[in-house]
Order: sequence, then C-alpha cells, then structure tokens
Amino acid sequence: MGSSFEQAIELILSADPELLNILATTAKMSLSSSIIALLLGVPFGILLGARKFPGRKTLVVLNRTFMGMPPVVAGLVFYMLFSGVGPFRHLHLLFTVELMIIAQVVLITPLIISTMETYVAQVAPLVKETSLGLGLSRWKRFWLLVNECVYPLFSTYLLGFARAIAEVGAISMVGGAIAWKTNVMTTAIMLYTNRGSFTLGIALGIILIALSLLVNMVLSLMQGRLSR
Amino acid sequence: MKVEACNKSFNDKKVLDLPAFELDEGCITAVVGANGSGKSTLARILAGLERPDERSWKRPTDNVGYMPQKSFAFRMTTRKNIALNGDDPQRMERLVDALGLEPLLDHRAKKLSGGETARMALARILMGDFDLLILDEPSASMDMEATLAAEQLLRDYVEHTGAIIVLITHSIQQARRVADKVILLDKGLLVEHTGIHDLIEHPQDERTVRFLQFFGV
Repeated sequence: MGSSFEQAIELILSADPELLNILATTAKMSLSSSIIALLLGVPFGILLGARKFPGRKTLVVLNRTFMGMPPVVAGLVFYMLFSGVGPFRHLHLLFTVELMIIAQVVLITPLIISTMETYVAQVAPLVKETSLGLGLSRWKRFWLLVNECVYPLFSTYLLGFARAIAEVGAISMVGGAIAWKTNVMTTAIMLYTNRGSFTLGIALGIILIALSLLVNMVLSLMQGRLSR
Repeated sequence: MKVEACNKSFNDKKVLDLPAFELDEGCITAVVGANGSGKSTLARILAGLERPDERSWKRPTDNVGYMPQKSFAFRMTTRKNIALNGDDPQRMERLVDALGLEPLLDHRAKKLSGGETARMALARILMGDFDLLILDEPSASMDMEATLAAEQLLRDYVEHTGAIIVLITHSIQQARRVADKVILLDKGLLVEHTGIHDLIEHPQDERTVRFLQFFGV
C-alpha cells in the first residue's frame, strides 16, 4: 500500500502522459457540464423561486424527482437513445465526451434549479416587497434579485462541479471509459482498480481530492469578496 | 384622497372590513391598534402588495411608497441602497445627517445592525417623491434619539411635498407626537378615524377607551 502511494506520487511528479490526458478529459467534461447546467439551471431556479404561476408546484416536484434520479438510470436512457438501435444513432455521439457532458447536464441541472429555487423563494418576497415599495421599475427589481443571488450562485456552482467531477455511473455507460478518449478520473480509478493496478488509481484519487480542495478554496475566496 | 371600502379574508377568515375613508393631503395619519387588528394588511393593500376581496378595488393613487415592517438591505453599500430611490445629493445629505448614517455610508448594508438597517431604509424611502407614503412601524427597532429624528423627518416630508403619510404604529404616544389624524383598528374593523387630540380627549367608542387605558393615556 505504502509503495503504491509512493509510486502514485512519482507518477504525478513525472507528468505521465496518460495521467495528463485523463486530467484534461475530466476538466473538459466537468467544467463544460457544470457551466452549461448553471446557465440552464439558474434562470429556471429564479423563475420557480420568484414567480407564482399555474403548474409551478408540479414543476418543483418534477425537478426534485429528476434530482433523485440514479446516474446509472440516466446513463441507461442515454445509452438506449444514442446506441445503434436508438433514435439518435445518426448523431454518432455514443462513447464521446460530448454525450458524457449531455448526460451530466441532465443530472446536474435539477440540483442547481433546486438550490437556486430554495434560496430565491426565501429572498424574493423581501426583494419584491422592498423594491415595489420604492416604486422601482420591473427591470431594476429583477436586477436587484439577481444581485442578491450572486453569493449563493458560487455555492450552487460548486455543488454542480463537485457532482460532475465525482460522477461515475452515467459517464461510464455513455462514455465507455475508453483510454485516451473518454476515460476520466473516476472511470479510470474504477478501471485500474479492477485490473489490480492501484498506482494510477491512487494518483488520480490524490489529484481528485486536491482539485476539490483547490476549487473550494478559490470559490470560498470569491464568495468572501462578493458577499457585500 | 379617497380610499374605497375594502374587505380582506385569508382562508375564509375576514381580517379586514373597512368602510371608505379619506386621507388628508399634507397630513400624517397614524394607524393604531393591537396585534392582529389589520394594520399591516391595510398597509399592504394600500401599497398594492395585497389585493382586497373586491376585485374592482382601486388604489387611491399609483404613486405610493411603502416601507415594510422588516427592513431589507440590498447587497451593496449603505450609500448605494439610499440612492436606489433617487440621487438628489442635498436631500441625501440632509437625511444622512439627521439619521446619523454618515459613518455607515460606505459600509456593506448587509452588515448593519437592525436599528441601522431601519434608519437606512427610512432614508431610502424618503429619497423618493410619493403622493402617498406608507410606513409600517418604521421606528420599531430604532432607539429614542433615532425615533425622534425619524418623526421630525416625516413632518418635514409632508410639509415640503404635501404628500400623505400613513404611519402604522403600535404606540399611541408616537401617534400623539407626530400624527395629525389617527385611525384606530380593532379586529379588522375601523373603530375611529379622527384627529389625534379628539381621539385622546373625546373617545367615542368603548374599544378606544380600552386601547387608551392600556397605554395609560
């Protein structure tokens, strides 16, 4: 175990090409999916939290259902849709990073919607009451609401990114963990551990935790600066 | 300014049942009453935040300012919060001076204490020019000095603009200090609407007498 750990450190320090490729693929997938989910989820979250309209409660329940969807189920659905017998087979997206991103967006967006909806539902009545009382325009009221949401926006993004980088069920099904193509940190850890090769798995585990720590630190710093 | 008769029910429970009444321009009308008497509901209806049961009910004017009971600070400096409602530098300076906000102007408004937030919110609302200004217990979390300064600012506001101020308050003493007229509500009903001194010296209703006795007036 100790020797595997030392070898893992050596692997990281030697900038092993396969390791670097896995890291690059992971970064591309996690950053893309979390940013797309944020762009989709935040407006929906604000809408659900701030406005009352017919069907709103149904949408909230539906979103919570999607939030609890097991990643392997999402993976299975996308596999069926994009496989050789699926309706989207002509797009040739199965076993590509692009489909991995799409699957992750479907998994992460409900999480972001729900987090934003919960926060906005608390703050929106106060913003609305105060800004209507001041006689501010609709546009200014909206801007003030968005401005109030900047602080939780970072924690929401962090949540989405953490889910993206740690997810394995859906992406291993639609990506296939193909070396030098769709293999990311989590699938690689699984793959190499199954082969009995712990070195790369440990190296990736160390990087995964360090990366998570780094992202948390950067976001906390930004959150601190923006919390005024 | 005429306010149409209105009713308001929540879950089939009537919380407000008011006849039509008039608000005099250039006057401060205090709305007093016990908890649950409908003061804040009336304030929210006049501000357009609640709709009365009568769908055809119309607000007496669209140019209404409203300061809610719970003051809210937006995520920006105190100065920017106050300037949200107008940026006349002279007016801002006068309000800031009167309410002792000068040292807090460049502070993050979210970090202000309850009393400081209330002072900031009062300055913010008084930056606007309204025909009807509704203030729901604006000095509830202010100390005596700030309360007296706030009351003076309300008097100045009606004198300079000719606006109507509706001041929701628990305190008959505050109504006596600052208001010209008073509306006494009890369980959603309008008990009396008269001059403040008439209410105190010649109460017309048993409920008014009980209310005044409670405050030792």
